Amino acid sequence: MNRILTLLVLTGLVAAASCSQSSDSSSGNAANSSGGGKKITIALLPKSKGNAYFISCNKGAEKAAKELGVDLIFDGPTDPDPAKQNEIVENWITLGVDAIAAACENKEGISTALRKAKSKGIKVITYDADALPDAREFFVNQATPQGIGYALMDEAARLCDSNGEFAVITGSLTAANQIEWRKFIEERRAAIYSNMKLIAVRPCDDLKDKAQSETTALLAAYPDLKIIVSTTSLGVPGAAEAIKQAGKTDKVKNIGLGLPNENKRYVHEDVTQSVILWKTEDLGYLAVQAANAVVKGTLKPGDKTFKAGALGEYEIQGDNIMLGKPFIFNKTNIDQFDF
Amino acid sequence: MNTDKHGFKKLLFRHETILLFVLAAEWLYFNSVGRNFGSLDNTFDIMRHSVEIGLLALAMTPIILTGGIDLSVGSLLGLSAILFGKLWRDAGLPIPVAATCTIIIGALAGGLNATLITWLRLPPLIVTLGTFSLFRGLAAAITHGADTFTNFPATFLFLGQERWLGLPTQAWLFIGVAVVLWLLVHRTTFGRSFRAIGFAPEGARYAGLPVERRVAMVYVLSGIIAALAAIIYTARLGQAKADAGTGYELFAITAVVLGGTSIFGGMGSVPGTLLGVAAIAVLNNGLVHARQPREVAGMLTGALLILALSSSALPKMLASLRARWQPSASDTQQNKTA
Repeated sequence: MNRILTLLVLTGLVAAASCSQSSDSSSGNAANSSGGGKKITIALLPKSKGNAYFISCNKGAEKAAKELGVDLIFDGPTDPDPAKQNEIVENWITLGVDAIAAACENKEGISTALRKAKSKGIKVITYDADALPDAREFFVNQATPQGIGYALMDEAARLCDSNGEFAVITGSLTAANQIEWRKFIEERRAAIYSNMKLIAVRPCDDLKDKAQSETTALLAAYPDLKIIVSTTSLGVPGAAEAIKQAGKTDKVKNIGLGLPNENKRYVHEDVTQSVILWKTEDLGYLAVQAANAVVKGTLKPGDKTFKAGALGEYEIQGDNIMLGKPFIFNKTNIDQFDF
Repeated sequence: MNTDKHGFKKLLFRHETILLFVLAAEWLYFNSVGRNFGSLDNTFDIMRHSVEIGLLALAMTPIILTGGIDLSVGSLLGLSAILFGKLWRDAGLPIPVAATCTIIIGALAGGLNATLITWLRLPPLIVTLGTFSLFRGLAAAITHGADTFTNFPATFLFLGQERWLGLPTQAWLFIGVAVVLWLLVHRTTFGRSFRAIGFAPEGARYAGLPVERRVAMVYVLSGIIAALAAIIYTARLGQAKADAGTGYELFAITAVVLGGTSIFGGMGSVPGTLLGVAAIAVLNNGLVHARQPREVAGMLTGALLILALSSSALPKMLASLRARWQPSASDTQQNKTA
């Protein structure tokens, strides 16, 4: 008899835990079956579910879903097994979603599942990190090397009135993306800011400690140095710590690519002036808008622009929808962002 | 002794019945609230997604029966996957040869566990905790953590992604392994000796059983099956990377224990393990179709495990309570009912 009891408890538990949202999903189903137009379901796949970066993407995605009146599913791996993203996508295929927007952890691996989704008539786009081109229709590209390089140079020049010496802290001297970004920094400098002079490029091996010691050395070697520009996210707080400890907060400025949360403290202490990245909420918003438009057929291969609801018009290069210019986080706005 | 054994058998039977009911309840529930849960495509998805963990759980069953444990299976899956990729892409071997070599490597890796456990008499928990790190570390070192093997031929991907004779291809392999394990554990003297070793290794030794050889056998078997799981995993994803199968050892152990195998060894069954795997797989899949957040799956699996285990322990506890406090026993019973 105890066993029967246990059985009842067990089934009760499964039922109870699922009840919380079953009303939700049944109403979704009802909306699907009744009414003239079928409600579109868009599934948004982050690299990992608990990551603040993607939670912030999802905020924007929810906004877009609300405006468009579509059903949004946000789900992603909670453990590090690389097969999880595939399993989630395969589950969505049988669930019968209309579109999938994926940020891909494993380019080749996930493409297998995305191709399968495509072959079942599901529209597939990627955002943040691309899959293989044949596995999706569009990639929502958050930043080009040119956009990043130009934004860093423009901001550096703005902070030093387009005049003076600057140094670059890079992840490594050989990484392809870093070389690419430095190329565009130089291109911009040569074209517009010829009074600014790049005096040193130092690698920090993506270590905060190394960024700090390299910056300390730079500060000692170049007394006229006006600004440090980091092209790697751990470079910014590392350089900030060095500037602060050298007591040069007033003399030397500090900017770079990075996440708001890592830099908030230094931004408020006026050690770091600007952190450059993109608005993750807009990335999520754009991804859902694009997925919806592909389902509706209003966004097709070959289009040159895409109008994404409240955010307006976006440029399309090939099959990449461009999020546009990077966003600058500074003292006035950094507290609004949490990632 | 004889009646005791009979009692255990009865208990096992009951545990499996409970699991079967749980499984049926899960299925009915998800079929009623979930979208497209009961479809054939989804049933095949559930199979595909649980074959690797299912294989590891099958391999783990005789190990736990002998009172041992193998924490290294998930890591060995990762190592086997990238070695398979390396043999195929870098050494240029045809897929069948590379697969055979991988399975031999799996057997050797299992042999390493077996040697350390039986020759040096080290506890399995410690040995396999060591190889858990060793195998994963080797996999990461060989690929520098970044190298990914991909672009496998379609004939190979067929194994992981297509259907053959009406079922997902890999399901046939799984059924084959399950039948072999069932025969081994339930229809041969080997199976009986695993249980005897699990109950009392010294007793088994005095009874003349080749304890070391039998224990070594289950760990080598586990290595072979982990390598097989690695090949299926690679075919399903179309990629082999050093982090393949991270955390699978715990899923496998959970399934085995949920299936009624005692973690101290001596009792358990292959059908129980299969039901345990199915109960977890259906739960994980069903929650997606019922549009529940993924985190709930972990929570419910844990709750399921604790409840299943207490359901086995509860009658014993109640019986002892009843024996101790004869007058208040009925009260306890009523409290439980309420």
